[in-house]
Amino acid sequence: MQKAYRKSRSWLLALVTIFGLVLAACQPAAPSPAAQSPSGGNAPSATEAKEPVVLKFLKYADPVEAIAFAQIEEEFRALDGGKWSHVSIAYDAVDFENLFPKIETSVAAGVELDLIQADGPDMKHYAWNQVLIPLDEYFTADEKAAFAPQSIEEGSYKGVFYGPPFMQSCSLMWYNQEMTDAAGVQPPQDLADSWTMDQALDAWQKTTVDNDGDGSPDVWGVRWGQGTWAGDYEQGILRRSAGEKGSPTYEGMGADGLTFQGYFDTPEAIDSMQFYQDMHQTWKVTPVEPIPNIFQSKKAAFVVYPDNIIGDINNQYPDGGFTLGVTGIPYFKTQLCHTGSWHYGISANTKHFDEALAFVKFASGKEGSRIYYEALRQLPARLDLLNELPEYDSYPQSLIKQGFEQFGIPRIQTPGYTEYQQVFAEIAQNVAAGADVAQQMTDGAKQIEQLVAKYKGWNE
Amino acid sequence: MSAASQQRTPRSTLPNRIVGGFFILLAYLLITIIFLTPLLWMIGSSLRPSPEVFQYIFPLSWRTFVPLQFTLQNFADIFGISEQGRALGFQFGRALLNTAFVSTAVVGSSLVFNTLAAYFFARLEFPYKNLLLVFVLGTFFVPQEATIVPLYIVVRQLGFADTYWALILPWYASPFVIFVLSQFFQEIPKELDEAAIIDGASLLGVLRHVIVPNARVGLLTVSLLEFQFIWNLFFWPLIATGRQELQVIQVAVATQISQREIAWGRIFAGGVVASLPVIILFLALQKYFVEGVALSGLKG
Amino acid sequence: MMAATVPTRTNSPSWWTYIQRRKTRNTIFAAFFVLPAVINFLIFRYIPIVWAARASTWQYSLLGGYRDWIGADHYLRALEDPILLKSLQVTFAYVIVKLPLEVALALALAIFTNRAIRGMGTIRTIIFTPVVMSMVVVSVVWALILNADSGLLNALLKTFGLPKQVFLSNPNLSLPSVITATIWKDVGFSTILIVAGLKGIPGIFYEAAVIDGATRWQLFRHVTLPLLRRTLLFVIVTQTIFSFQVFIPVYSMTQGGPLDSTKVIVYYIYQLGFRFQDMGYAAAVSMILLVILLLISVTQMRFLRSDVEY
Repeated sequence: MQKAYRKSRSWLLALVTIFGLVLAACQPAAPSPAAQSPSGGNAPSATEAKEPVVLKFLKYADPVEAIAFAQIEEEFRALDGGKWSHVSIAYDAVDFENLFPKIETSVAAGVELDLIQADGPDMKHYAWNQVLIPLDEYFTADEKAAFAPQSIEEGSYKGVFYGPPFMQSCSLMWYNQEMTDAAGVQPPQDLADSWTMDQALDAWQKTTVDNDGDGSPDVWGVRWGQGTWAGDYEQGILRRSAGEKGSPTYEGMGADGLTFQGYFDTPEAIDSMQFYQDMHQTWKVTPVEPIPNIFQSKKAAFVVYPDNIIGDINNQYPDGGFTLGVTGIPYFKTQLCHTGSWHYGISANTKHFDEALAFVKFASGKEGSRIYYEALRQLPARLDLLNELPEYDSYPQSLIKQGFEQFGIPRIQTPGYTEYQQVFAEIAQNVAAGADVAQQMTDGAKQIEQLVAKYKGWNE
Repeated sequence: MSAASQQRTPRSTLPNRIVGGFFILLAYLLITIIFLTPLLWMIGSSLRPSPEVFQYIFPLSWRTFVPLQFTLQNFADIFGISEQGRALGFQFGRALLNTAFVSTAVVGSSLVFNTLAAYFFARLEFPYKNLLLVFVLGTFFVPQEATIVPLYIVVRQLGFADTYWALILPWYASPFVIFVLSQFFQEIPKELDEAAIIDGASLLGVLRHVIVPNARVGLLTVSLLEFQFIWNLFFWPLIATGRQELQVIQVAVATQISQREIAWGRIFAGGVVASLPVIILFLALQKYFVEGVALSGLKG
Repeated sequence: MMAATVPTRTNSPSWWTYIQRRKTRNTIFAAFFVLPAVINFLIFRYIPIVWAARASTWQYSLLGGYRDWIGADHYLRALEDPILLKSLQVTFAYVIVKLPLEVALALALAIFTNRAIRGMGTIRTIIFTPVVMSMVVVSVVWALILNADSGLLNALLKTFGLPKQVFLSNPNLSLPSVITATIWKDVGFSTILIVAGLKGIPGIFYEAAVIDGATRWQLFRHVTLPLLRRTLLFVIVTQTIFSFQVFIPVYSMTQGGPLDSTKVIVYYIYQLGFRFQDMGYAAAVSMILLVILLLISVTQMRFLRSDVEY
């Protein structure tokens, strides 16, 4: 045995050397170099016989959205007498949760992606890593002004615009009207009268129904957030609403995008998360462990959710049978919702920049956005389109538009958003489970700062 | 002659048998309840419209398992049979075929290459063979999460990204299968090899006529395990391929979770069509397990 | 690591030596048997492993690429990383509890279903169904069974007059809950391997023992168990490796929480590499895991090495 080991060393060394050589041979897979902004103005002239171009578009799977894109693509190819008829798009659509890992992997492997569907808060991250080509010079000031200011903020990095949005969102509180009626609760229909957190708690308690009195409600008062997950998009609203406008709690993070102590763990922020814990543990108006589809299957009276709940309810109850209502979002000191732009990004690895740019401009333009809206019915990010849509003047969609315009703010803007979101999601989970809130928040602020320290100097 | 099936209970009196039978029945029942309930719930949920899926999970009653509004809509959707399914472009049938093709191809090539390698480790003489075994096992000490990106880089460099090859080639040899098979092979008495060699068989001949027939149950077992392993792969196919024509069933099921909504009914329908083929395959192969070594003519 | 070698024979007849010599001549021929597998491992497994080893000495992120070469810094950081320490503890606890329970249960189920009784094939299939159920579905089902407020298990506890329990969101019960769910999911895998091993035991041994008047326990203890040693060895070795790398059940059931109580090491590696933008450090932690698994596997094989002859 021993002898075999000793003899084996030279063998092992030889093996390692071979691997080293093989590895050296495979080296060109080094990740993306600095984004080279291709020269604009090279638009292919219409007279040339054009080689077919296939744009690779990495996005999340959504069958309804796929229909919209097929139509956008068709119109794009017919544009300007078929100027772009040689362009087609190959969609690589992965499930929502795995889009980010797949983008990371593709970038690391140097895949020749052309288009990337990028979540608003990730835009700065992609920009910092030079994954995307800046598009500032291709959008005039007027063109940019057509987008909601929140989307411009989310799509920009150090004042440079990296990609236009294709839709927006704003979470409000929705309710099952049969349940609120049964409990004699009347949610305010004007955002100026939106409930404070205490008023909302009263409504949640009234709508929590425990028929057999066993301590396990049959219908819960509320579910704060989409699906079964936790994170900044919804729990962040609750926390930031505990601060006055402009206060550290409301801002959530220092202006440098790297400081969290003194912003994330302020006394108000801790109190708000304590309230969040009590919702689960003391008042028991929401289940400690989330139940899938809880609102849609009529097991919760209220839900904090973006406007895509309308489509979801219509899908699940095609023949009616669900009376959906909406009210403002409960708050401690400042009413707010998190906006949620998704953006078109052009990959730094593209070999077809002109075609990709033309597609992005069309898709994010008024025509493209309209097609998208008609298929998905989600809040448009283009103000010119939004203002034309009559349905946003009447309830319930009017409230979304108003909420978005009046108090919709982007999530914190830092290249370290992914790290922050991951830590905050864990904290939200721990707090719901009954952990020491103050300790979670102060330790969390420190942990986030350590994780994002690598971005030091990003916005200087 | 075969196996433990021949166990005879010593002192088997009538009362003893009745008590024994009762306990066996009880064990049947317990095993069925524990292992089958989730499957039944999944099947029940796949036959419900989406809002009903979680509506009756509590309080627990027959409604928890039996759909109230029975519907095949979810299945019609995912196979693209219904109008909605076609409009939304679902092709779970294609995904199932892809998965079956890839799994079969891997198991087929794995049967050849892993059997050869296992035979090598079980029987053949080679310098530093033990080191080589550590080399083989060493490949499974590093979690896939840490090596999936470089693996993707390698597969891309070889030009296999976005092809069936990407789903097959990396898996045609498996350290797990080699290790397990070589152990099964070593159980076979060496006298049988010797006899065959004296009769003039080559190494390959020994493998074909002695080892393989005597390790049938082992080969069948690892093939099944490998089949379900490839069948259930998720992260690798997700990374390595991007075209819907190449989509495997697990990835197809996951696409029902979108940014806007989770199509629970279709997820459970997808879960059913993703797991039933393997369960049926397993059931169909049970007779070979019963026959066991009896088939091989090995008398020990 | 000698475990898998050909058992040495002391009383080999002379023709065996002849075969040996012939085999030696066939060394090169022998290499061809293992070559396809070796090529596969070199290309598809070792290049990635060496790549990861290299990345572990760099400040490296998937999106940002390589920044600075930092030598052993990641490894030094690992020594003082409280989350890594916690995740190692969680992983060891997971393996130490899960492995013996699963193997014992699999052994019992294998012996129970290895009877020539009608319907046993069906029972074996039933035990195997969780293995092939997709984890998305399994995690939803278990989350509902274990749900703190309205889960099936709590309904059962209630009928027995026991107090309601919080399972998945209780740091003291979350790991046992995950262990229970994964044993349920994996036990069929080990069971069919053991069934295959049982099929390899020639019936003649049982016949002889029964004639000698052995009780059922004696049969198990003195016939089945010794002859199953090799099977149990590979079941234990491979299940140890698989268990150390548990990821998907944790990812889909508890996301490592609450309070890191289920943050197993591969979950941490995933989080570091894909979420915390620190694939360099994730690679270093993977290398540490490699060394741990290497040591454990070699030790296991030495302890359990089986050169039982019959």
